[in-house]
Amino acid sequence: MIGDIAFGQFIPGKSPLHRMDPRVKIVLIFLFIVFLFVAQNFVALALPVLAALAAIFLSGVPLRQYLKSVKAVIFIVLFTSVLNLFYGGGQTLLKLGFMEIKSGGVSNAIFIAVRILTLILLSAVLTFTTSPNSLTDAIERLMKPLKVFHVKVHEIAMIMTIALRFVPTLLEETDKIMSAQKARGADLESGGLVQRAKALLPILIPLFVSSFRRAYDLAMAMECRCYHGGEGRTKMKVLHAGKGDAAACAVSCLLCAAVIVCNILLPGSLT
Amino acid sequence: MAVIECKNLTYVYGEGTPFCRKAVDNVNLSIEKGEFIGVIGHTGSGKSTLIQTLNGLLRPTSGQVLLDGKDIWAEPKKIRQVRFRVGMVFQYPEHQLFEETVLKDISFGPSNMGLSPQEVEDRARRAAAFVGLSEDFLTKSPFELSGGEKRRVAIAGVIAMDPDVLVLDEPTAGLDPRGRDVLLTQITSYHKTRGNTVLLVSHSMEDIARTADRILVMNDSHAAMFAPTREVFARGAELERMGLRVPQITKILSMLRERGWPVGTALTMEEAVRELLPLLEKGGVRA
Amino acid sequence: MSEFISAQDVSFAYDPEEGQAPRNVLEGVSMRIRRGEFVALLGHNGCGKSTMAKLFNAMLLPTGGKVFVDGMDTVDEAVLYEIRRRVGLVLQNPDNQLVASVVEEDVAFGPENLGVPPEEIRRRVDEALKAVEMYDFRLNAPYKLSGGQKQRVAIAGIIAMQPDCIVLDEPTAMLDPRGRSEVLRTIHRLNREQGITIVLITHYMDEAVQADRVIVMDDGNVLTEGTPREVFSQVELLKKHQLDVPQATELTYRLRGMGFPMPCTLNEEECVEALAAYLPPVQAG
Repeated sequence: MIGDIAFGQFIPGKSPLHRMDPRVKIVLIFLFIVFLFVAQNFVALALPVLAALAAIFLSGVPLRQYLKSVKAVIFIVLFTSVLNLFYGGGQTLLKLGFMEIKSGGVSNAIFIAVRILTLILLSAVLTFTTSPNSLTDAIERLMKPLKVFHVKVHEIAMIMTIALRFVPTLLEETDKIMSAQKARGADLESGGLVQRAKALLPILIPLFVSSFRRAYDLAMAMECRCYHGGEGRTKMKVLHAGKGDAAACAVSCLLCAAVIVCNILLPGSLT
Repeated sequence: MAVIECKNLTYVYGEGTPFCRKAVDNVNLSIEKGEFIGVIGHTGSGKSTLIQTLNGLLRPTSGQVLLDGKDIWAEPKKIRQVRFRVGMVFQYPEHQLFEETVLKDISFGPSNMGLSPQEVEDRARRAAAFVGLSEDFLTKSPFELSGGEKRRVAIAGVIAMDPDVLVLDEPTAGLDPRGRDVLLTQITSYHKTRGNTVLLVSHSMEDIARTADRILVMNDSHAAMFAPTREVFARGAELERMGLRVPQITKILSMLRERGWPVGTALTMEEAVRELLPLLEKGGVRA
Repeated sequence: MSEFISAQDVSFAYDPEEGQAPRNVLEGVSMRIRRGEFVALLGHNGCGKSTMAKLFNAMLLPTGGKVFVDGMDTVDEAVLYEIRRRVGLVLQNPDNQLVASVVEEDVAFGPENLGVPPEEIRRRVDEALKAVEMYDFRLNAPYKLSGGQKQRVAIAGIIAMQPDCIVLDEPTAMLDPRGRSEVLRTIHRLNREQGITIVLITHYMDEAVQADRVIVMDDGNVLTEGTPREVFSQVELLKKHQLDVPQATELTYRLRGMGFPMPCTLNEEECVEALAAYLPPVQAG
């Protein structure tokens, strides 16, 4: 089924990370991602990586789930690493025709690979341990200050919620429409670019039509359930940061400070 | 002669993953040319998977599907030819409509077959007539039709390929009683006129009793029964254990039989009346 | 039983497309739904029954006549949300009415809109999910549920708003027999145990025979109404309008026509009993 995609899926659980305030989680994970790029040498880089590994351990989500999300991007990681191999100075290690691989290139490649992989793992921790709804809820609250600039924060969050809810439904629907058109002899696999693009119409048009029908139904169902925008709305799940969140913040701040200290005290590994 | 045969047919979803599930398990059956087959079984019994292997939308994990004695996967590149010969109408087929006009949409199937434009149009018009769509419908947009009309357009789109075998997956789902009645009548008359083979998947035992020569009962990935309609519906208790029912009229007569009255199995109202009349007359209470 | 919804001489026309005259979907329909009743609303597609459902919770407003919900006029904007809270509407397609990606969060959607305090929402959501026997699925994603389960979650979403009445617009049309019986069992229990008024719009006669009262609509009007027995005894009238009757009902009807004094029966048990009374005694051995 195309509906079962590992990346970006919530895996219910009761781990400390599942119980954390999603706002704190988002901010901290964002912080670590920034510091992945702030780190200029391997010691400094090791700190956010350690944090990511600790988070993975604490999340209680099976390792193979993480492997799956890494597998999805492994090509991009390899590609960027290989590109980076050819940049940077230092000793020449290997000569391939007009291209040279230097020691600096190797450390660049490793550096960039670790950065991307950690970034992916950190976002996986976030999506695995946070339900889509609390994720959008947290984003809604974090963006609240933007209301001053007339940003429709509630509407944006509602759109995200609905999009997340309907992605699997529409994927399933795509599957069904494809089968139906194949049964009428639609040829989706052969032909040139133009032909293939044309062959998609019998799938895209019904998909569009059905999305509109669903949107119409959904709007009606929401109105029937007294939806009238964000005004006067309450939430079942109130977000409140607890002791665990405070501790996580403290540890994270320390780690980030350590990254800066390492950057200052130790020579950079990037060339 | 058998038009479709399944030999040791097995289909496994997600093979090699921890989520693998056997949806069809070693099914053997043979369907004769011109038969009207009813397919019943509750959701998850494997019936949807089974019918999708018949036109090569799903490739069996093991075993074979034979069309006119030839394995449909003998030449995987020619699988599209199989789909023209085994026409498949999915549930809620109106969701597949996409063309500007009804005629163009019905023509989609036949035009994929590489026929001449004239032949394509002839077939589309004939198919439209089979499902009772009059001439003035053909130039309309399919999106401005009613639900029942859209469904008929979609069914015509498959009939227009002139398949030897027509598979319909719950064609009457969601229609009102009048729409259901009209559609079933059209399907049976199409079957009679064309003399081809029809497989009708349905949850409505009344519809199956009305149309089918033989019934295939799928249960727990297996073909639990494959016998003439009357024989299958005579085994009401077994069907109930599989979460299926028999038509209400059949049930009433079997309840009477259990209480000792000598009545046979009835599939239709007329049959029930015929079974009951002699007995009632013996009772002598006619006013 | 006191009157809960009352439609008085209601007519309704959708906004016509350009250049076309408006056509009435409903023409002077009067209908009463009493508190605590289980009413089945029957009729063909396009007979106006879905329009009726939307008039009951002020999703649509009548173009002529009046609709009152517990004495409140549905055109009164001040009570709009109160009416929608009291009269919940469940739609046909279970996929298109669930908003959130987690079952319990979807059920919470209604009370959240009403501004109910968080602890109270939690309590209502748990209760509603238990009432439809979906509590164990509270953390599941809706798309992984069966049709019958999704529809029960949709019902829970309405119950969490503590309605007086639930209107269901062909809730079983897209379900398999198992899903259908799950949904029916659920709404009958809600009606019996919590006294919630139910208006069930359906095409299935076997669902209608279980109601307290049946209203049959045709072509924008009420064709007939009464207890299931009163309605289904009019086999001729129903057949004339191409509506189904249960096979049991038809069998006793036909035999009656042949001169056997059979009562009107609604299900197989009744039919067998009726026949047994007229069949000759079973010979022993």
